[in-house]
Amino acid sequence: MAERSEILIIGGGITGVALAHELARRGEDVVLLEKRFIGSGSTFRCGTGIRQQFNDEANVRLMKRSVELWKRYSEEYGFSFQQTGYLFLLYDEEEVEEFRRNIAIQNRFGVPTRLITPEEAKEIVPLLDISEVIAASWNPTDGKADPFHSTAAFALHAKEMGARLYERTEVKDIIVENGEIKGVKTSRGLFKTGIVVNATNAWAKLINAMAGIRTKIPIEPYKHQAVITQPIKPGSINPMVISFRYGHAYLTQTAHGGVVGGVGYEEGPTYDLSPSYEFLKEVSYYFTKIIPALGDLLILRTWAGYYAKTPDSNAAIGRINEVDEFYIAAGFSGHGFMMAPAVAEMMADLITKGRTSLPAWWFDPYRFERGELRTTAIQMG
Amino acid sequence: MRPLDLTEKDPSKKITIYFEGKAYEAYEGEKIAVALLANGVYWLTTSTEGRKRGAFYFGPLPMVINGVKNTDGRKTPAKEGMRIERQNYGEFQEDVRIDEEKPLLRYVVDVAVIGAGPAGLGAVLEMQEHLTVALIEERSWLGGDFWLKGIRQEGFDGEPQEVISGMRAKFNQNVRLLLKTSALGVFDEGEYFLIPAVRGNQLIEILAKRVVLATGAVDNILLFENNDMPGVFRRAFALEVMNLWGVAPGRKVAVVGSRPEEMTVELERWGIDYVVVPNPKRAEGKESVERLIDMNGNTYEVDAVIVADGRRPDINPITQAGGRLRFRRGYYMPVLDAYHRIREGIYAAGSAVSIKPHYANYIEGRLAGARILKEFSFDAEPCIYEEKLREYEPEAVPLHRIESGSMNLEDVQICGCDVSLKKVHDAVESGISDLQIIKRLTHLAMGFCQGRFCLFNGALLVSQKTGVDMARIDLPVARPPIKNVRMKAVARRD
Ligand SMILES: Cc1cc2nc3c(=O)[nH]c(=O)nc-3n(C[C@H](O)[C@H](O)[C@H](O)COP(=O)(O)OP(=O)(O)OC[C@H]3O[C@@H](n4cnc5c(N)ncnc54)[C@H](O)[C@@H]3O)c2cc1C
Repeated sequence: MAERSEILIIGGGITGVALAHELARRGEDVVLLEKRFIGSGSTFRCGTGIRQQFNDEANVRLMKRSVELWKRYSEEYGFSFQQTGYLFLLYDEEEVEEFRRNIAIQNRFGVPTRLITPEEAKEIVPLLDISEVIAASWNPTDGKADPFHSTAAFALHAKEMGARLYERTEVKDIIVENGEIKGVKTSRGLFKTGIVVNATNAWAKLINAMAGIRTKIPIEPYKHQAVITQPIKPGSINPMVISFRYGHAYLTQTAHGGVVGGVGYEEGPTYDLSPSYEFLKEVSYYFTKIIPALGDLLILRTWAGYYAKTPDSNAAIGRINEVDEFYIAAGFSGHGFMMAPAVAEMMADLITKGRTSLPAWWFDPYRFERGELRTTAIQMG
Repeated sequence: MRPLDLTEKDPSKKITIYFEGKAYEAYEGEKIAVALLANGVYWLTTSTEGRKRGAFYFGPLPMVINGVKNTDGRKTPAKEGMRIERQNYGEFQEDVRIDEEKPLLRYVVDVAVIGAGPAGLGAVLEMQEHLTVALIEERSWLGGDFWLKGIRQEGFDGEPQEVISGMRAKFNQNVRLLLKTSALGVFDEGEYFLIPAVRGNQLIEILAKRVVLATGAVDNILLFENNDMPGVFRRAFALEVMNLWGVAPGRKVAVVGSRPEEMTVELERWGIDYVVVPNPKRAEGKESVERLIDMNGNTYEVDAVIVADGRRPDINPITQAGGRLRFRRGYYMPVLDAYHRIREGIYAAGSAVSIKPHYANYIEGRLAGARILKEFSFDAEPCIYEEKLREYEPEAVPLHRIESGSMNLEDVQICGCDVSLKKVHDAVESGISDLQIIKRLTHLAMGFCQGRFCLFNGALLVSQKTGVDMARIDLPVARPPIKNVRMKAVARRD
């Protein structure tokens, strides 16, 4: 007998898992299918960063809510989430001007970002080379979380509240009859459902195609890589440090002690995930410019994951009306980890109530077709 | 002679070094870890969680040398007046300035052979007449594990060190030997393979049309309480200190693991007192091993423990280079095609493929070399080597039952990076049966050795606890760099 659920989520990254968790919390009957293991897509490959420093109202508001949720669930479930801030290093007047504008938006919605001097930046991260820095944009309430323990915790508690999560279960097709979803075919048989959520991020276009969706939702997979060094003393690099000048680099120290991060080095569209030697050299070059002491550290490994990119670096989130009832939350570029708790709340609102107080309109999946691209969201790496 | 010296050292090289403020006798060129061992000093560094560590089991060996933190005590040679101190893993040099970029060294060859054990040497000797070869070896000697043996090995005519010297003497001008050079991985680069490597902080790029992975095997890690304590030795380190440096691991040692004979013949040769303990439970001591207690409650007063539990192929170079694995005879090994390749252009030979006598590894290297010669349209007879190789059935390595019920799991280190057996055990007990997730929750296989020493035991534990066959476990793939490299060595933009 095929298993049945009211709602079926495809994709067990942080987005799908947080959504399963939120729906289960609201008492909904939900199944999640993941083709490999929880987190195996981009989530376990991410740079851990969580920020509210965006350049538009919608992302700032969404992230403000997300940070509240990160705080709440990390305390409730006991995983690591630290509000150690985001520090953007700025090197010329033009950059400073742009950040001034962003800060004004952020402040308007209660995010306490401010411009600080290079000396203040160095107080926050004493290892920094500030010789070329002229200012920094600093928000102490941004932070980072452990992707492994957080995703695992959301999965565990989702299950405890009745969600059914199946790993190693790949969705092969979606059964639609007369415009209505009937179920999905998987590597482990049929699952019946009336509502499908596409939370597969880099694979979203393949799932859309299975449902026969023709609406243009351009999400393409790009290879982005990350590096981690040997663990060093806790507290050596507390915030996420960003330098657009030096290779679009971002770096921070994980709860476990290693220095993690990446640069803007990008390849794609591609599903290839082999780490490259060029990245190894480039990331080392830029990181040691920003913090010379990193030069002495041993690199333990590099790896690659996907930025699932849209033309404006904003995700596609919402309901697709071509079939009844199909939802998408995908295309998160370099910021899908940080958003997941708020995106889950927003999606759960849309599915269960048909409306939400969070700014879902900004992520409208139809905007591409209508040619209404948003301001490009600030992207790390 | 120093307390643990086995041989008289060259008096003209005698120097003084200072460890934690105290003067010790050393010999110029000796590795620091060896010089201190000869003086009976085992505890050299301290792990993140505060566990005392020596040089000879697993984990990194960061030390403060002449005021510079995070210097590798296993690689740094002793010099007159050197001041050496212990440190904690997490300490590093905060005032580093990046030196001017060193010019890159770049070599273009027909074949890159990674690993200069008998297999790598066999491949080089087979090909050198017709092809240019770069031979990349991380250690300072040729011959790999074979070189460490003090006694004759089946198939070879002479003592190991003689045999290897004889081979080296045969190298012609087509061979570029790169010793003390660690390959960081194999990358595709058009028609070539690119193998970046480092010698110290010098970056070297080798472009080759074909690659032979003769990257060898790694010692098996045995799980018992305080298995990471200073004074516990892996078999290769025990062989190295005795046979290369003429220093004893201890005055009275316990040999544990399923292959004690390999070690006891060597200990007897040197006249070192030993006891074989088949079922170790716990090592104890203040700063280093003072006694070993077995599962039956017997106590052995010893000052060192040697783990002689055999080896398994090092799968990291294989998976990084794009090879697939299968599980046979108690270990993961590369899947090879009919031409002895893990994929087009990349060959594997020696104990990187399977565990067998050194001579069989040599023949397998010859075989890979002959296959490559044929690819380049030279005369060669791989079939002869193939037939010869068939005479050697690879060894099976026994799978231990992990006795999680009868040990204090917190004290058992599965990995040198502060991953206790308890952490992994608890994750499995909590219902997580996927090694991929256990890895990320416990940091197993995510530290300095990239799983080289710890992943197997992790897989074994998962298999024994969940009943999932070893062959069916989703094993994490090694990521570059396959050997730790300092960021400044690779920091460059072209
Ligand atoms: C190097 C790097 C650094 C990053 N740094 C950050 C950062 O600092 N902060 C941040 O917020 N974000 C960061 N990101 C982005 C972040 O990782 C992603 O946006 C986020 O993980 C997306 O989560 P997701 O759940 O939407 O997608 P994923 O985690 O990719 O999950 C999608 C899942 O769908 C599954 N799937 C696909 N097809 C099927 C199918 N047919 N059937 C069943 N399952 C299927 C996949 O296996 C996968 O597990 C980074 C990304 C990379 C690559």
